Amino acid sequence: MNTLIEILTPSFLLHDALVASVLVGAVCPLVGVYFVLRRMIFLGVALPQVSAAGIAFAFLAYKIVVGPHEHLEVSERFLAVLGSVTFTLCVTLALSLFERRGRGTVEARIGTTYAVAAAATIIFLAKDPHGDAQMVNLLKGDILATTSASLTAMEMVFAAVVAVLFACRKELLLVSFDRDLAVVFGKRVGLWDLLLYLLIGLIISFGVMTAGPMATFGFLVVPAVTMRLLARRMLTFSLGAAALGAATAFVGFYCAYRFDLPLGPAEVGVASVVLLVVGATTRVLSALGLWQAT
Amino acid sequence: MSAALLDLQDVAVGYNGTPVLEHVSLAIERREFVALLGPNGAGKTTLLRAMLGLAPVLGGRIAYGFDRVASPPGYVPQRDALDPIFPLTAFEVVLMGTYAKLPPLRPAGAMQRQLAAHCLELVGMTVLARRPFWAMSGGQKQRVLIARALAVQPEIMLLDEPTAGVDHQAEAAISEVLATLNREHGLTVVLVSHHLGHIQSAVQSFIWVDEGRAVKQSADKLPAVTGPTGLPEARAATR
Repeated sequence: MNTLIEILTPSFLLHDALVASVLVGAVCPLVGVYFVLRRMIFLGVALPQVSAAGIAFAFLAYKIVVGPHEHLEVSERFLAVLGSVTFTLCVTLALSLFERRGRGTVEARIGTTYAVAAAATIIFLAKDPHGDAQMVNLLKGDILATTSASLTAMEMVFAAVVAVLFACRKELLLVSFDRDLAVVFGKRVGLWDLLLYLLIGLIISFGVMTAGPMATFGFLVVPAVTMRLLARRMLTFSLGAAALGAATAFVGFYCAYRFDLPLGPAEVGVASVVLLVVGATTRVLSALGLWQAT
Repeated sequence: MSAALLDLQDVAVGYNGTPVLEHVSLAIERREFVALLGPNGAGKTTLLRAMLGLAPVLGGRIAYGFDRVASPPGYVPQRDALDPIFPLTAFEVVLMGTYAKLPPLRPAGAMQRQLAAHCLELVGMTVLARRPFWAMSGGQKQRVLIARALAVQPEIMLLDEPTAGVDHQAEAAISEVLATLNREHGLTVVLVSHHLGHIQSAVQSFIWVDEGRAVKQSADKLPAVTGPTGLPEARAATR
């Protein structure tokens, strides 16, 4: 109880990290619902890996051009954002283009993207030992290094993405649910897909920068999958997933702080426990005739 | 703008540059009820999709007697084409039809909700408006999709096998809805069907699709269908 009171105090040392963690937990599921609905969950694994490759490349490029960098330098975070956003946006644009042209299968494209990104990350890091140490921090979730400046930047980007998602929810739903109907209505489905991919790219870039690829993937997928077991309407689905993500991020942060666990895995662990409990409960209730499976 | 609602002039349709149907010339008039008939794989759905602008026209042209941008056609896909993973109520699915005339970024308001409710009423589905779409029977889903197409306020409705895979009672209900919409609301209807069944009495003409050709005939030439499909009789009528 004391720990809970401590982390809720505004003067809490890791207050920025807590806010960043809850923000990632709340916003990632808002785009994650589209991953689940479009049955492209594995894009949630591939894109964070692409983002990680971008960060590794940025560190390596900096080392080659300027020289070795120091951990927690301001330029380090800028470098990471630049690499992450550039790589993620380029790959999302390329994937969107391939989808539009219908080349190959979705699974093949996503699988190839993941394999290439994972290999590239390792190769870039092998050439940059400094980057290697920082990537380990990132993979664990370097959220504890969140500064007020990086938090403000993330808040602004996330607010903009949420505003666009909200404003375009009608078109994004139509294009995702019934693409043919959208074409018949004269909607520019390629552009709406592109917009969705850009929003996904931005969320993933900043999510990976803040919480690491594993936690970002976890928040993209697990709350949305959990909420799909419960929701019967789109609005409930989206907002419920966001609320669940925020709540599990908070509980995960509490567990990590209280029991001295790595933050990212603690958050994903909590979200997964919630999924297991909800899944088991709905299954039992469904078997008893008290719940209609969704 | 063409006098006919749809005027196909020496049209070739197909995929990847390979025509499935060629030299198709026919017109769909206003208030007409037309059935697209033919054996499996003959190209009925391809022709329907070409009329909707979903399949490429490889040759010839399709002239539209209505403004496709301002007033798109109503489209009822095969219900299995829609993924049940989407958590949508029947009302939400119908509301999607109103998006046709809503500019980007403008959400559906009270007027669109009223229209969606009215369309559900027209197909007799008001009581199930809040029911999850995925939890409905095949026939109920089909009627919801017809309501969605009506929410477009179209001049013409194109349906892809609306009675496929539904029970006898649901087929009768769907047929009655479509016949009423055509007879009392003047809606032009074009539907793909394997067998006419209950809908036969409403059909005014049919397009026989087979062997790379599509020929339109008056329903007078369609003999009474006594078997489960009636296709052999339809084939005979076109010869």
